[in-house]
Amino acid sequence: MSRPVANRDWHRLLALLLVLAACQQLSAAGLIKAKAWLAPVLIERAWAQSLSLGGRPVKPWPWADTWPVAKLRVPALGVERLVLAGDTGNALAFGPGHSSASASLGSAGLAVIGGHRDTHFAFLRALPSGARLQLQLPDGTWRAYRVESIEVVDASTHDLPRLTGAERLLLVTCYPFDALRANGPLRYVVGAVPQAGAGTATFAR
Amino acid sequence: MNQYDRIYFQLTRDTGRLGGLPLWFVFRALPTVVAVALLLMLLWPAPGRAMVTAEGDEVALDGIASGQMLLQGEVPGHYTPAILQASKVHFDISGMIATVAVEQSFRNGTGRALEGIYAFPLPDTAAVRFMEMVIGERRIVGKIREKTEAKKLYSQAKAAGKKASLVEQQRPNLFTNRVANIGAGETITVRLEYVQQVAFANGEFSLRFPTTVTPRYMPGAPLSPGGTEEALAPLVVNPYLGWAVPTDQVSDADAISPLQFPREGDERAPLNPLEVSVRLDMGMPLARVEAPYHDIALARRAGVYDIRLANGVTEMDRDFVLTWQPVSGAAPTAALFTEEVGGQYYGLLMVVPPVSELAGPPPARELILVVDTSGSMGGVAIEQARDAVARALQQLRPEDRFNIIEFNSNHRALYRRPVAATHRHLQQAQEFVHRLRADGGTEMLPALRAALETPRATDGLEEQLPLRQVIFITDGAVGNEQALFAEISARIGNSRLFTVGIGSAPNSWFMREAARFGRGSHTHIGALEEVAGKMGLLFSQLSQPAAVDLDVIWPGQEARGDPAGDRAGPGQQAAGRNDPTRAVPRAVEAWPERLPDLYLGQPLLVAARFGAQAPVGEVIVTAEIGGQPWRQAIALSTGVDPQSAPRHKGVASVWARQKIAGLLDLKVLGHSEEVVRAQVLPIALQHQLLSPYTSFIAIQEIVSLPPGERAASVPVPNTRPLGQAPQTFAYPRTATTGPAKAWFGLLLLFAATLVRAMRQPELDHVPPGRE
Repeated sequence: MSRPVANRDWHRLLALLLVLAACQQLSAAGLIKAKAWLAPVLIERAWAQSLSLGGRPVKPWPWADTWPVAKLRVPALGVERLVLAGDTGNALAFGPGHSSASASLGSAGLAVIGGHRDTHFAFLRALPSGARLQLQLPDGTWRAYRVESIEVVDASTHDLPRLTGAERLLLVTCYPFDALRANGPLRYVVGAVPQAGAGTATFAR
Repeated sequence: MNQYDRIYFQLTRDTGRLGGLPLWFVFRALPTVVAVALLLMLLWPAPGRAMVTAEGDEVALDGIASGQMLLQGEVPGHYTPAILQASKVHFDISGMIATVAVEQSFRNGTGRALEGIYAFPLPDTAAVRFMEMVIGERRIVGKIREKTEAKKLYSQAKAAGKKASLVEQQRPNLFTNRVANIGAGETITVRLEYVQQVAFANGEFSLRFPTTVTPRYMPGAPLSPGGTEEALAPLVVNPYLGWAVPTDQVSDADAISPLQFPREGDERAPLNPLEVSVRLDMGMPLARVEAPYHDIALARRAGVYDIRLANGVTEMDRDFVLTWQPVSGAAPTAALFTEEVGGQYYGLLMVVPPVSELAGPPPARELILVVDTSGSMGGVAIEQARDAVARALQQLRPEDRFNIIEFNSNHRALYRRPVAATHRHLQQAQEFVHRLRADGGTEMLPALRAALETPRATDGLEEQLPLRQVIFITDGAVGNEQALFAEISARIGNSRLFTVGIGSAPNSWFMREAARFGRGSHTHIGALEEVAGKMGLLFSQLSQPAAVDLDVIWPGQEARGDPAGDRAGPGQQAAGRNDPTRAVPRAVEAWPERLPDLYLGQPLLVAARFGAQAPVGEVIVTAEIGGQPWRQAIALSTGVDPQSAPRHKGVASVWARQKIAGLLDLKVLGHSEEVVRAQVLPIALQHQLLSPYTSFIAIQEIVSLPPGERAASVPVPNTRPLGQAPQTFAYPRTATTGPAKAWFGLLLLFAATLVRAMRQPELDHVPPGRE
């Protein structure tokens, strides 16, 4: 006798739970996008301030644990990204991050910038080999790079070499671009070298 | 009315109040969602996640791993560094002193002028006293200058387009050479000359010449951007092009972290070629001359040996070591080498204490084995370390106690407290050792602290054993040596610290100094085959009584009043005797001031300045060995005719270098940098020696660069130490959970709709009386 009643309540409860869980998942997904989309506004302001202070790091919001260290521009795609310090999840949520384990940007050695494949570094997919990249350093100078290699690497079996040679820039994002799995082992790696001819090129600010 | 319906009712009322669903959506729902989203966004940093293991692999990316230093216009796949370095070294060994000439050539292979920055090691006792820059036929003799002044002169010369070279000491065994404005296709050679003492232990002479630097771990937090806004320092361009950034514990990390060639060295086509020649004149018949890590060709003429590399050239990826042994009976037991420079007489005294046979078995001991398992030990080094520990365990007797501590980023002890060396414990220990892997950082300080921490005597559970010995097995690849020495010096107490240097290019300075502050001895293991022999020697040192309370009475000097009282405690005594403010005029100034304990086979080496008079009379050395007093008198040259006395070049430099080292110890013992600097600077300038406060600078007074042109700076890479695994880091984790969450959310919504759809028919079956 009480079975159908219990059944109805059970159904309602299940529907409610499912809707709540769906909302939680969707808002979490939305949040990731929203953070990626909104934070650059604050970061842009911090970068402008940083440049005017002659390269002093400026945090985009007072309790941030990262700060912009460079501006990356791809003229061919009309893309501009502010690169943050560190490539931990905390930084990558807000923008592409420069790996602190790699060499400093604009100096000798292998500098690595990582970015999320579904937000800031989604454009890497469209980046052709030979494309020109520009990188603005905190002192305001621009450096020109040329994309020299594009590869897919298995990060579970390969690491990045440390302590080595001359300047090289790596843009790293996860691969495949449309995968749902967040902890896949593959990485899409774009390698760029300083533009031939002029190692550095200064553009008008 | 249940909860569900109530919410619906509330929402409908709210919608009505705002005048329709669209308006409600705009003014109520959207602002709430945005506000909540913003709040969450800034408070909750949701990390993307991915599991990446950091297991090292040979090469990360084809082409990328070896694509550094690419020259413009060159075919991809064929790589050459912008500046090629080649070294030549010539050792002139006479008695206990070697005068060594090192030539470093830098060839600019590019089409534009460059500044090359080369970080290189030298022996830690090297007294660098001469430098010259050679450009074609022209020689420019370098001048010794105060460090900041030299740096300023160099920057000016570089900016003006002049060729210049600046050689600076970063560590007693690590130097940097900056060569400015090397023209396209040009070669600039920098010649250095240094003097070093030959090592003598266990009846064998040896000389070690390091060629490359094992990448050092820099503990501490990066100095640049810090936690608070005030602490954010301006970004400075790394002037030494090192891979590390300065940290709060290693403020010069960028200067001591040279980049490496991405590929490993090649003996046949060396990346950094080295030529070696040796002139060995010992004045005594030799039983053998060997270079354990290199193939050498030997020629002998009138008692003088001429040594070269068998292949002419070698890769700079491992220390060059030369050992030689006199025929039995010819080994010296005491000698004094003297030199007169600028009207002053200097001497180097060497005395070998006798081997005293111990009555009965050696006392029981507590042995703490500390093993470095950091990333820099990866490769053959960790195998050597494992073998060394395993052999040490075999030497333990049942009455001994032991423990093993391994450390990388963290340290971990096998047992909570040292345990008896029973069969079962030893078996557990062997298993523990077998599983040691090299990975992570080198946080040495906490590990040392744990090793030197003695159980309190009041513990009452176990009695203290008579000997407490710590064996520290490491490559010494750290940047905070001074802090470690201070820690050892402060905490050594009754323990004794013995260091075992591992690998092809260990930090020898750390090994020697850590053992000195720990009042123990140091040894080097460079190959797996050496482990057994070297550990055997170490253990014979551990079980034989050391010569303690050493004292040297120079001619015209009274014996010290109360030597026992003077040596009350290491810290106390050092502070008292080394007090720089206590200026007692001494006829003979001898260094080191604090004589070390001598273990089996170790000689006493003291450098002295006698003043304007040639020394006459005899030197008396006293000590206590195994509870027995020991005394030896060494007659000095008669001094009737100073010209006829045997003269040994370099003794004065050795003395000055010893004095500088002794003064620098004050820093470890807590004296301020200014006090130490004020003492070291005059000595270094007077004796023309490289020091932490003095640099060599050579400038060609010709402007060789077109006006307006600036030479770019490039690092001159070192070769990776032989057998070392490449240092790597993991790829960033670059996927968000966003798409997965969105997909899953939609799936859940779909499921909810399904459930709702399934619910509808059931309504018909609700009994009427229910509501």
